[in-house]
Amino acid sequence: MRRRAVSLLLAALMMSGLAVTGLTGCGSSEGGESVRLMVWSPSEDQSKDSGEWLQTCCEAFADAHPEWDITFVYGVMDEASAGEQVAQDPDASADVFMYANNSLEPMRNADAIVRFGGKYREQIESTNSQEVLDTLIMDDNLYGIPFTTNTWFMYYDKSVFSEEDIKSLDAMLEKGVVSFPFVNSWYLPAFYLGNGCTLFGEDGKDEEAGVDFGGENAVEVTNYLIDLEQNPNFRIDDLGSGLAGLRDGSVNALFSGSWDANAVKEALGDNIGVAALPTYTLNGEEKQMYAYAGTKAIGVNTHSDYMVQAVELAIWLGNAESQRLHYELRQVVPCNTELLEEEDIMSDELVTAQNNTFSYTSIIQPLVNQMNNCWTPVENMGKGIRNGSVTHDNAKEQTEQMNEAMNSDGI
Amino acid sequence: MAGKKMQSASRKRFINNTIVHVILAVLAVIWVFPIVWVILTSFRAEKGSYVSTFLPQSYTLDNYIRLFTDTTILNFPQMFMNTLFIAICSCILATFYVLAVSYCLSRLRFKLRKPYMNMAMILGLFPGFMSMIAVYFILKALGMTEGNLIKLALILVYSGGAGLSFQIAKGFFDTIPMAVDEAAILDGCTRWQIFTKITLPLSKPIVVYTVLTSFMSPWLDFIFAKVICRANSDQYTIAIGLWRMLEKEYIDSWYTCFAAGAVLISIPIAALFLYMQRYYVDGMSGAVKG
Repeated sequence: MRRRAVSLLLAALMMSGLAVTGLTGCGSSEGGESVRLMVWSPSEDQSKDSGEWLQTCCEAFADAHPEWDITFVYGVMDEASAGEQVAQDPDASADVFMYANNSLEPMRNADAIVRFGGKYREQIESTNSQEVLDTLIMDDNLYGIPFTTNTWFMYYDKSVFSEEDIKSLDAMLEKGVVSFPFVNSWYLPAFYLGNGCTLFGEDGKDEEAGVDFGGENAVEVTNYLIDLEQNPNFRIDDLGSGLAGLRDGSVNALFSGSWDANAVKEALGDNIGVAALPTYTLNGEEKQMYAYAGTKAIGVNTHSDYMVQAVELAIWLGNAESQRLHYELRQVVPCNTELLEEEDIMSDELVTAQNNTFSYTSIIQPLVNQMNNCWTPVENMGKGIRNGSVTHDNAKEQTEQMNEAMNSDGI
Repeated sequence: MAGKKMQSASRKRFINNTIVHVILAVLAVIWVFPIVWVILTSFRAEKGSYVSTFLPQSYTLDNYIRLFTDTTILNFPQMFMNTLFIAICSCILATFYVLAVSYCLSRLRFKLRKPYMNMAMILGLFPGFMSMIAVYFILKALGMTEGNLIKLALILVYSGGAGLSFQIAKGFFDTIPMAVDEAAILDGCTRWQIFTKITLPLSKPIVVYTVLTSFMSPWLDFIFAKVICRANSDQYTIAIGLWRMLEKEYIDSWYTCFAAGAVLISIPIAALFLYMQRYYVDGMSGAVKG
């Protein structure tokens, strides 16, 4: 009996819950069609301390469209996990969300993300560079409005390195201590990519082409990395040791992204320098390092009940004014081409460094599913060099093994 | 002669004891080391996730203060209260389920008793998170994945499976002689009265154990909370909050606060244990003579 009473109680609770959620959907309808839009963004975009970017933009959007009576529902979801979450359950996900372009594939597979076409596509294409757009185009369909680029670059101490030094990693190593995330596979391929190794064809979209991280050129890089690791002025940046070194002065340059900008500024003060990636000297030749790059974009859910409004809002959140506000409140580097020509943004070193890296010293991080197999082997290579199991003697063999693992489907 | 022998025997014992104690001391240090390190880190004044020294250079309380004042990005006090509420509710429910099921299986005889125990054994072999996605979609169909209903959803998830983990409590109830129950029945007790007035007071240690374990699993759970909360940041539990502090955007500025949070979450568990441990001693003492 008691059990039945408990289950009855639970059922009653559930029913009342349903009723409550059902009721909250109805807003007041003072003017026009009532619309409920759920928007996801990282928590900083919604926090009071950093100016409530999302709320400000959404309210401006509502003011600009008096014909709709919009109720906004805000959810917290960082760009990196948004793609996966939307793909997992599009039905219960936001109408408009911000995502990192490397999570495009799962959403495409789940048919959860809207393709932009017609006037919207023209509008997006007219305000963004082709390289940026390429990160969001798959099979000729455009899947979002880019609002920032996402890559890593170099922070350095201006009192140690001159403008000339920072062009070459080897010149820097002679003058000061450089720290690099050697055991992180988002960073380490930069050296391999610099010496002609490729991932999935020219544009990184050809899954059939596979990975070319083997061959003589890759072995040369492995040998270079073994020497680099033993350089007394080189430090492996792992678990935040680079930043800690920058604070106490034992490190003079490190590689990271815009998320560490404030911490680096605090550590270096006026001596902070930001630059695109340097070259490295391999057998007497200068080779350019290439970072993986991507973008963060605003996407629209195919399951949205208010498609027109959702698309309009996404365009609004990605427009020049919203990007400027984003930059002013949170130093999010804009990518709108008109905005990048404005003086105060052009003169910002961080913006220049990130955009230079994106345009000149990076490749677009491949979006194909096979890419998932490419992380662990490279990380293991870095770790192998660190712990001394990869040596000049077995470099060739180990490099071939890495290449094989990257091309295989196994775990 | 005899004196010499005595001396060498006690000497031998002394050497043995010394070796044993040294080994124990080393093991104790190794065991306590990470905990001490987390506590030290929680008071560390230097920022960042990496430091080159074992002991902090300077100490501060700011990490704790920040956890409770800097709430715009990661609202720790709210997460703490959410988790406490969920943990207390599911602790009460789960304890009741476990004890009730154990009592029935130990004292009553019914047709499904054996099949139920076998089924529970087999179901218990599968990891709980195997059904995670299914549980999520069921809760979604019931409309419980948005707003405050998430708390109810989590309470149901944490307490719902409790009836399967009766083995330990049932084993304990089995050790209480049937004679006690029979005596009570002769005196006119109902089954419910036997359960509440006789069995439970006699099994304090196992009640304490059940309460502790059923409090700790929701208190520390990450995976179900993560799947069910999704974008509802006002419903986050501390496990999600602590995990977020270690993401690349936050780790540098939040690392020491993470350690402070880790110290804080151990307080309710420790308090609950300290309060309940005195019942550990009681139990059967004085219940059955002879």
